[in-house]
Amino acid sequence: MSTIRKRNDVWHEKMAKNITFIVTKDCQLACKYCYLVGKNEKERMPWNVAKAAIDYILDHENDPNFAYDSVVWDFIGGEPFLEIDLIDRICDYIKTELFRRNHQWFNSYRFSFSTNGINYASDKVQNFIKKNYNHLSIGITIDGTERKHDLNRVYKNSGRGSYQDVVCNIPLWIKQFPHSATKVTISSADIPYIHESVLHLYGLGIHEVNINCVFEDVWQNGDDQLFEEQLMRLADSIIERELYKNFSCSFFNENMGKPLDCKLQNGNWCGAGRMLSIDAEGNFYPCTRFAQYSLRDKEAWIIGNIHDGIDYNKIRPFLTLDRCTQSAPECIDCEVASGCAWCQGENFDAAHTHTVFERSTAICKMHKARVRANNYYWNKLYRKLELDGQREEFEANNAHVKPEIS
Amino acid sequence: MLQYLVILLDDTSVAYCHAENPLKERYLISLNTLKKAILFGMKENLMIQYVYPEYDLPKEYSELIESIDHIKIGHDIKVYNDVTLSSTAGTAILRTTVADFISKQYDIAAMLSQVTRLIICLKDAELFQDEQIEQYKKALSTLSAMVLNLRKSDYQSEVNILTDRLTLKEMHNCGAGDSNITLAPNGKFYLCPAFYYDEKMGISNRLNHHKPSSERSVGDLETGLQIPNPQLLKLDHAPLCRICDAYHCNRCIWLNQKLTWDNNTPSHQQCVLAHLERNAARTLQQQLRAVGLNAGEEIKEIDYLDPFDVREKF
Ligand code: SF4
Ligand code: SF4
Repeated sequence: MSTIRKRNDVWHEKMAKNITFIVTKDCQLACKYCYLVGKNEKERMPWNVAKAAIDYILDHENDPNFAYDSVVWDFIGGEPFLEIDLIDRICDYIKTELFRRNHQWFNSYRFSFSTNGINYASDKVQNFIKKNYNHLSIGITIDGTERKHDLNRVYKNSGRGSYQDVVCNIPLWIKQFPHSATKVTISSADIPYIHESVLHLYGLGIHEVNINCVFEDVWQNGDDQLFEEQLMRLADSIIERELYKNFSCSFFNENMGKPLDCKLQNGNWCGAGRMLSIDAEGNFYPCTRFAQYSLRDKEAWIIGNIHDGIDYNKIRPFLTLDRCTQSAPECIDCEVASGCAWCQGENFDAAHTHTVFERSTAICKMHKARVRANNYYWNKLYRKLELDGQREEFEANNAHVKPEIS
Repeated sequence: MLQYLVILLDDTSVAYCHAENPLKERYLISLNTLKKAILFGMKENLMIQYVYPEYDLPKEYSELIESIDHIKIGHDIKVYNDVTLSSTAGTAILRTTVADFISKQYDIAAMLSQVTRLIICLKDAELFQDEQIEQYKKALSTLSAMVLNLRKSDYQSEVNILTDRLTLKEMHNCGAGDSNITLAPNGKFYLCPAFYYDEKMGISNRLNHHKPSSERSVGDLETGLQIPNPQLLKLDHAPLCRICDAYHCNRCIWLNQKLTWDNNTPSHQQCVLAHLERNAARTLQQQLRAVGLNAGEEIKEIDYLDPFDVREKF
């Protein structure tokens, strides 16, 4: 029996090609931390663009860029379920074409969604779920307690909080996808609510809570101390109530906060460039964060389109990225480097030149605070396990846990 | 380390590298700016390379120009934009297209006996297609045969894309913004003349987005050099080039930013061309050795034309 819950592995994560359709740039909400600076109601993907994109991708089955065992077809927005009819048609076409072509991805595909959850119980979405159930990953974003959620996740016209309209769909979602995780994004104003929010999400029956601080340069003086305090309170609650047995939170990771070697641990953090994003006009991007609606200061990094195909020169920088080349000396020498994440899109947007090789360090002090709280958590947890006689079992169960970056 | 200062004496100064100079109107550097530029070069211990326009400069410039050690591009070093048989010179630059390099390979080979060093620069490297690989190889072997013959008869013919690799033991690239910097007639610094042309032509600025227009300068004579992300111009920050042994390659950062949008990442075209040259140098090396001539350290056999295909994967 495992006494500590581990995070679910993302389906075939390493071997799967990730292809994202930006089906709409519209959303019912106007979340205050949303990185999509250029959201709008006009840019909806027409069917012929979606079809041409699928045809292009499947026609290039032998291209190294698509030579993956599996595929994750990702649908994002805005809010993807606003375009459920289009999505349904796309998914039907993909299934038919994979079968017709006897493609390696037939039966090795996933449809993945990140939704605000507002339309989740609608007939159309539910019918879609029934039809594709065995191939679905759906994440609903709920940020925590009502006051925390409504601090950011508000309707775009009225400014009203969306919590009540989302939380009512959580039981159905958990019933349908018991292993689902939720994604929580922390910005400066959210810090005081971290502790209560994670516990609240556990209380709703969500067993896995993945939290990230935003990568943008939003942090105020003192935010790191507040953050550390919140995480330590959370650590106390998780340990005292033995929630670690059934729940997990991405804030606490045993392999975080160690120095990293520039030869052996030089991997890039994210998959930009290995992924492919397609927008309503049929343009291709190395990741959605490089589309114009996601960028503040830079021009979109378009790597091709459905008519001309991919310009491979434009993805060479992404496919040659390593950790140390893009990091400043302070990051290379950092004693607590492991687990310090970055977003290639934000790095690009914030860079002084047109490059993906300049890593932003806006998150540095938050990472260091997280490392301190994380150390506290593990020291306290191990002591408790020791006293409870469960330490050996725990260590045996976790021997295979891989480092956060390799 | 910065070693060279390239001074464009006029907007119509000759193009001598990959980029065409699209500027047609004369704009002569002012005497005052030139004076300051020379002073900058002296204080920073830089070797000056003046780039000349085709017209004669006013007399008062000569004294100033001659006040410091220098090289004159477009003067001492002649630049040809077409294959020509009419000249004899020490070092000459031939700017040509891929298609002309292939179709005029015998004429180009003939030029080798008239110069001590020929620098061949492709004006349209970005248009090179993999389908042209065999033709490019053939043209290189024509040049190589000429070098071999000349060297057999004791004429130390040099051509950058073939013989440089024979003697190099490490990367020796263009070095724009790293070992050299360009000063334009407007008194501002640019990584190389091509960036100045792009600015003047209003070409969308993918180099320095924090500046409002197409501006691409990296400082000026008043405030000094301010190169953003200078580390990305260095070899150790270029993941492909640092594992590469096409030591003679220009590693043109202007082409990099134009084709891959990142200064430190070369295009497929640049790498393939440089590797065809590297491999041709290897064959030439074997032939030189076979007749007992000195040909430098052994160039190893490799099975790729683009280091991207053998890149480090983490
Ligand atoms: S061949 Fe390519 S990798 Fe090698 S130095 Fe030239 S540009 Fe760089
Ligand atoms: S970067 Fe160097 S090689 Fe490229 S055009 Fe400029 S001077 Fe020439």
